[in-house]
Amino acid sequence: MTRLQLALAGCLVLFVSRMSLAAGTAAGTSIQNTAQVTYTVGGSQVTTPSNTNAITVAERLDVNVTLQSGPVSVQGGQVRRELVLRVTNTGNGDEAFQLAMTSVIGGDNFDPTPSSPAIYFDTDASGTLTAGDTAYVPGTNDPLLVPDAFVTVLVVNDIPTGLANGAIGRSRLSAQAKTGTGTPGTVFAGLGTGGVDAVVGSSGASSNATGEYVVSDVSLSNVKSATVLDPFGGTEPVPGARITYQILVNATGTGSAANAVIDDAIPANTTFVPGSLRLNAVALSDATDADAGEFIPGANPGVRVHLGNLAAAAGTQTVLFQVTIN
Amino acid sequence: MTMAKGWFKSTGVVALSICALAGSARAADPGCIVLQNIAEVEQASTDAKGVKTVKLVPAVKVVPGDTVIYTLKFRNTCDKPAEKVSVDNPVPEHMAYVAGSAVGPNTEISFSIDGGYKFDKAEALRKKDSDGTERAARPNEYTNIRWVMNHPLAAGAEGYARFRAVLE
Repeated sequence: MTRLQLALAGCLVLFVSRMSLAAGTAAGTSIQNTAQVTYTVGGSQVTTPSNTNAITVAERLDVNVTLQSGPVSVQGGQVRRELVLRVTNTGNGDEAFQLAMTSVIGGDNFDPTPSSPAIYFDTDASGTLTAGDTAYVPGTNDPLLVPDAFVTVLVVNDIPTGLANGAIGRSRLSAQAKTGTGTPGTVFAGLGTGGVDAVVGSSGASSNATGEYVVSDVSLSNVKSATVLDPFGGTEPVPGARITYQILVNATGTGSAANAVIDDAIPANTTFVPGSLRLNAVALSDATDADAGEFIPGANPGVRVHLGNLAAAAGTQTVLFQVTIN
Repeated sequence: MTMAKGWFKSTGVVALSICALAGSARAADPGCIVLQNIAEVEQASTDAKGVKTVKLVPAVKVVPGDTVIYTLKFRNTCDKPAEKVSVDNPVPEHMAYVAGSAVGPNTEISFSIDGGYKFDKAEALRKKDSDGTERAARPNEYTNIRWVMNHPLAAGAEGYARFRAVLE
């Protein structure tokens, strides 16, 4: 009885261990298969197992580099601006990866200047370059990743001066499996995790991703203020009182902000006063039409004013609109 | 007393079938049928004339996503026919059965999704999801495959069964 239960428990463990990773069954795993045949000869039933064949899973070398940051807004002359990338071991064995970067890439408007050093690990997981981050030194601290693990990497560049607003500069991070790279299917005998064969996977055991810097030598600021006029000539915010909102928009810097738009929501428990929208004291119709502004009705009402390509030279833009308190 | 005896018996059956799946070793039986289990992979090559050929080679280098072809060859070494011949193979751990790949001349093929306790035709296997809804079992949920010969295996005769599985 006790032995029977022990045998049962021991066999069940094999079911529980049936797990798999996104990267697939781990390199070095032994895949065993035993069949059995049952038959009757001369009235007695016999069961015989087959031989057990075992296949050792080879290491598949795969890597994936992905960009984690969108286009990074920069200004000419800035130093140590970072792009955030991620290197993931998509193979099925423990693997070290060699990293490299370049900022000389065709099809962009300028070449960012790699800082020295130009590759950091985002050690403190802040997503920005900070004093706590460790510089990458090829051959010294190549990231060793278990299957499915990733490391966040910062590619750091300085931005040249004298660039046009909107100019784009690209920079690229590449990662290669240290065991080897090549066309998919290339075999490195005995060089995989634990001495198994390593086979190059669909990535070629090499991957790269490119990020970009966009020169944006302009910044927009806005200041919003409100004045209340109640039905009795006072300034109490009581039902029926009218609030006039004023938004002052300023561009600073040497560039211009393309297609700048101001969106402002109508506060809850208030109602937009039709025909009250103004841009620089010029009345704008509520309809979406040729003029620069409109009232947007609906569940989340708001006003929108199109300021066009706004540069510092245009001066302060003044948007006004009114609501009444319900 | 009778009840206790019955309970023992049924527990014994369960333990036997689960252990059979796990492929635990059992005492060698000097039986009539010798069963040989072969694992191979397809290797494609193109000759100088551009003719493409695919041959089976022993499975040595297998990585996730690769398909392994398991062939179970059986031969009756006795001078008497063997009846009710049934070949069972658990789908190996870390592998998923490839839909429709099980073949075997003169055999009825059935599958199990519960570790070899119950077997049924592929189209009759139903699985209950965690929310209680029932659906057709997916081929990668098959745990065991069984080939039952529909006639006795004559003395000296041979047969084979085969299936494909993908390494997860």
